[in-house]
Amino acid sequence: MSLPFIVSLVIIAALLLWPDSGLVARWRQARVRAARVRREDALKHVLKCEVNGELPTLNSVAGALHIRDGAAADLIADMEAHGLISIGEGRIRLRQPGRELALHIVRAHRLWESYLAEQTGVAEAKWHQLAERKEHQLSPEDADALAARLGNPLHDPHGDTIPAAGADLPADTGRPFSTAPLDTPVLIAHIEDEPEAVYRQIQALGLRPGMKACIFAKEDGCIRFWADGREHNLTPILANNLAYVPLVGTTREDLFDEEFLSELHPGERARMLGLSAACRGAERRRLLDLGFVPGTMIEVELVSPSGDPIAYRVRGTVIALRREQARLIRIGNRETIPTEAVAS
Amino acid sequence: MASIQTGVAAVSATDIIENARRLRRETAADVHEVLVEAIYADAARIADRAVARPGRPARPTLDRTLDRILTSRVWGFPIMLLLFALMFWLTIIGSNVPSGMIADQLVGRLWPVLRELATSLGLPWWLKGLLVDGVYLSTAWVISVMLPPMAIFFPLFTLLEDFGYLPRVAFNLDRAFKQVGAHGKQSMSLMMGFGCNAAGVVATRIIDSPRERLLAILTNNFSLCNGRWPTQILIATIFIGSLVPAQWAGLVSAGAVTAVALLGIGFTLAVSWALSRTVLRGEVSAFSLELPPYRPPRFWQTLYTSLIDRTIFVLWRAIVFAVPAGAVIWLSANLNVGGVSLAQYLMHYADPVGVLLGLNGVILLAYIIAIPANEIVIPTVLMLTVLVTGSQGIGEGAGVMFELDSLDATRSLLEAGGWTLLTAVNLMLFSLLHNPCSTTIYTIYKETGSAKWTAVATLLPLALGFAVTFAVATVWRWAS
Amino acid sequence: MSEVPNTAIAPPTEACAKCEVYRAANLKKLGVNPGQWDHIVALAGNPNTGKSTVFNALTGLRQHTGNWPGKTVTRAEGGFAYADRRYKIVDLPGTYSLLSTSLDEEVARDFILFGQPDVTVVVVDASRLERNLNLALQVLEITDRAVLCLNLMDEARRHGLTVDDRQLARDLGIPVVPTSARSGEGLPALLQAIADVATGRVVCRPHRLEQEPPAVRAALNELVAQIRRMHPDLPNARWVAMRLLGGDENLAAALQRGELGGQRAQAAVAS
Ligand SMILES: Nc1nc2c(ncn2[C@@H]2O[C@H](COP(=O)(O)OP(=O)(O)O)[C@@H](O)[C@H]2O)c(=O)[nH]1
Ligand SMILES: [Mg+2]
Repeated sequence: MSLPFIVSLVIIAALLLWPDSGLVARWRQARVRAARVRREDALKHVLKCEVNGELPTLNSVAGALHIRDGAAADLIADMEAHGLISIGEGRIRLRQPGRELALHIVRAHRLWESYLAEQTGVAEAKWHQLAERKEHQLSPEDADALAARLGNPLHDPHGDTIPAAGADLPADTGRPFSTAPLDTPVLIAHIEDEPEAVYRQIQALGLRPGMKACIFAKEDGCIRFWADGREHNLTPILANNLAYVPLVGTTREDLFDEEFLSELHPGERARMLGLSAACRGAERRRLLDLGFVPGTMIEVELVSPSGDPIAYRVRGTVIALRREQARLIRIGNRETIPTEAVAS
Repeated sequence: MASIQTGVAAVSATDIIENARRLRRETAADVHEVLVEAIYADAARIADRAVARPGRPARPTLDRTLDRILTSRVWGFPIMLLLFALMFWLTIIGSNVPSGMIADQLVGRLWPVLRELATSLGLPWWLKGLLVDGVYLSTAWVISVMLPPMAIFFPLFTLLEDFGYLPRVAFNLDRAFKQVGAHGKQSMSLMMGFGCNAAGVVATRIIDSPRERLLAILTNNFSLCNGRWPTQILIATIFIGSLVPAQWAGLVSAGAVTAVALLGIGFTLAVSWALSRTVLRGEVSAFSLELPPYRPPRFWQTLYTSLIDRTIFVLWRAIVFAVPAGAVIWLSANLNVGGVSLAQYLMHYADPVGVLLGLNGVILLAYIIAIPANEIVIPTVLMLTVLVTGSQGIGEGAGVMFELDSLDATRSLLEAGGWTLLTAVNLMLFSLLHNPCSTTIYTIYKETGSAKWTAVATLLPLALGFAVTFAVATVWRWAS
Repeated sequence: MSEVPNTAIAPPTEACAKCEVYRAANLKKLGVNPGQWDHIVALAGNPNTGKSTVFNALTGLRQHTGNWPGKTVTRAEGGFAYADRRYKIVDLPGTYSLLSTSLDEEVARDFILFGQPDVTVVVVDASRLERNLNLALQVLEITDRAVLCLNLMDEARRHGLTVDDRQLARDLGIPVVPTSARSGEGLPALLQAIADVATGRVVCRPHRLEQEPPAVRAALNELVAQIRRMHPDLPNARWVAMRLLGGDENLAAALQRGELGGQRAQAAVAS
């Protein structure tokens, strides 16, 4: 054998077999990681079933993880062997270590979504997908640090509760939106982020948890409702991915007459009613601090050469906002400013 | 005793925090929101009791009228352009004569005196050369080139700043920044960059979103900083102003400098756009900007403070860097490697690349020597040119930086060094598009905490500079 | 632009220290290097209200001032001596509120909270009082040693506004000093007020939120009672409670470490 041949052989062997960074080692690590991710996803599924009063089964695990039944059976056996779950009387139950891990995963997922929503410009359609990956990489300490950085949010951008470290997960709130009563304003409490295609459609419509909505017609195959200042249509199947809770103190008329700051014209003023639910986190706090609080009179002061941003006079100061933000501020009592008031 | 107390405190602090977490979850309302509302209600009540408005206010309407004009659809942008062009024009026509006068004194009179002094002190030739011909001359050059333009430009800029015009620029430009995926306040850091890029990089802290802040940091170097103004102004005056009749020269040179500054803004937008579609992908975040009332600046005070604060500070920095650079230049011109000076040796290698870019080896070498501070590019270029052309009559031997008492003399020297209009145009472009100075690089590293992004911020403009000058040179040669 | 390196700050000029106002006020500007100091003064306020101008006038330094919000992004320190006492004064970035968290505002917030200034001077724009009081009232929830610097009085006058500073002082429970920092008007009185509060000659009775928002009252009361039991002397128990209810982890951590205003003083007394 020639020397070059031996050298090549050694190099190839090293590339393959080098501890920790050789291809084989990496492949093995990736497999271990994939197994862990599957385990954690399964635990999360069991936890969600549990809090919502459903029974986790082998089939439901297989369905949630998109794996075959046989693989799911192996997975469940493996989790039982690790002391994460117990199986008795044909029921899958979480054991304490498993519950803790599952809670952490849910917490990490929802925190990461909040982070993406509040502190990055990542498109909304990608939040869930990215969080699905990130939840397995954050340690409990990472999650705590992240929570602190976000000001300990209570809800993620889908309206779901973010469990506190070590606390229990409350059941999902709300009932399917398609069953909401006609002509009665309700609050959208939650938007289910799976399946993704459906979620994407819903978010493209601009619907957010915390929005007020009012169904005014249920035709077959189409639910027509009013939310956030305009009309929306959803098929009942899509609508079932929204959950609502009843809303007291808002009438149908209040909702239909809702207007937003972006609709205010130069020479007009209006009273601010509140911030839309789509305005979250740091952005919401910033607007409040700038004086955009309910009851404040706002008028258009200046329009920039290209029409956006627009500067508003708020409590004696001129503040410029982009159109997307002005869309988040609800106003009422719109009126034209009398000319002598403009002069003074 | 104290430790016991803290021990007890720690336990109950945990209780309190736990309890607060529980209560927070049980409270339906958003505490922050409720709180701000309550505080504003109190503030309104108190302010109402204290403030009276007996007279009819005259000002707000004036402010309003002014704002309507400065941000109007028709006039907003033209006025912005005119204001900046006016600033450059005043700087160019105003700094010509004083620059010559300062040079006359520092180089024409003081330098020979110093040389004689050194000789009479019996200093060895190399020490005399290093100190008087290297260090002193480079410093004198920097002062005479930089002091007059800065003493005019900074006060003008400060007047605009104190008046309250900058936020209006941000307001006008926001749409453009939004469309390229950047933050509206990036235009503020951009304008700070016109003063000093390091300051501009720090100013990006007003941008909350990490992604957009990084964009602002990476593109700040496209704001032409004060260290580069003298290069722009000098080259524009010599080569571009001279293309037209004398009475138009000032205006045309100001136009050229304005064009380069605008090109910088164009690059800021283009690079932001490219980055936010590739490595820094994401959507634009929220933006709110307070437009403060106009405040008539106090003219003399502004003049005084901006002279002291900015001009002297920047000048001092330039001098600090010019001193060692002067020594390096002198040494590189006087250290011989196999019969050729080090500088000549390096230029020999840099020249082919330089010519390809429509520049020359002298300019490239000057930019390497001037990495610590952009201010010394022009002095270095001139000194190296003397070296190459061997114009012994003008300078005083190898590696001596000298002052040319008139622009014409500078021009003829550069032309002897093979400079053409293309060289001038490309030097102006390259001065806009090259790596940031060492202070800025260090500031970027401190602000981003990332070696990777610092490298990007350093190399990206350089790569652009090579690409643009190469393209211009190729097209130019092909067309002519 | 002189924000970056503090070397940008030139030493105080002689000329100004000699002028009438300052001689009368007994002020000595100490530049960047106050050496030993007796008291710490913080300058807080909304952006663009003239904090840096006040800072420069008192220390003789040259912090960057300019008419746009956001130019001060780092904190600057300087010193002055007045009536035999030496003060370290800290110029903070402008902030609209102490409740949010953004990078530049965090600097200001943390210093007011944890820097333990002896006096916090809230610089407000007299012609935009209502908006500026939002921050002032928040500061008063935290500390009871504060002075309101009613700046930009010249501007308010030009806009045809009069501000009743006595009424304001009564309502806020702290000294209120009308000034025009740019021309030096009112600065001697401001110095006197700072000294009065720092030395304890004047005791503030700061305004506290008149009505607790009903939506959070019960939770707030429960928490306040608990905090009071643990720290009877904490001057701002209610504010701590509000922030904890708002999920402020920084504050929780500070409570955990025993660093909240008043606690340190208390520990010093105890040991
Ligand atoms: N007319 C007037 N202008 C002032 C006064 N105080 C400050 N200014 C100007 O207000 C602007 C903001 O001041 P600055 O000190 O930078 O504000 P900061 O952001 O609070 O530090 C600057 O242009 C100052 O020149 C004052 O008393 N009267
Ligand atoms: Mg300031």
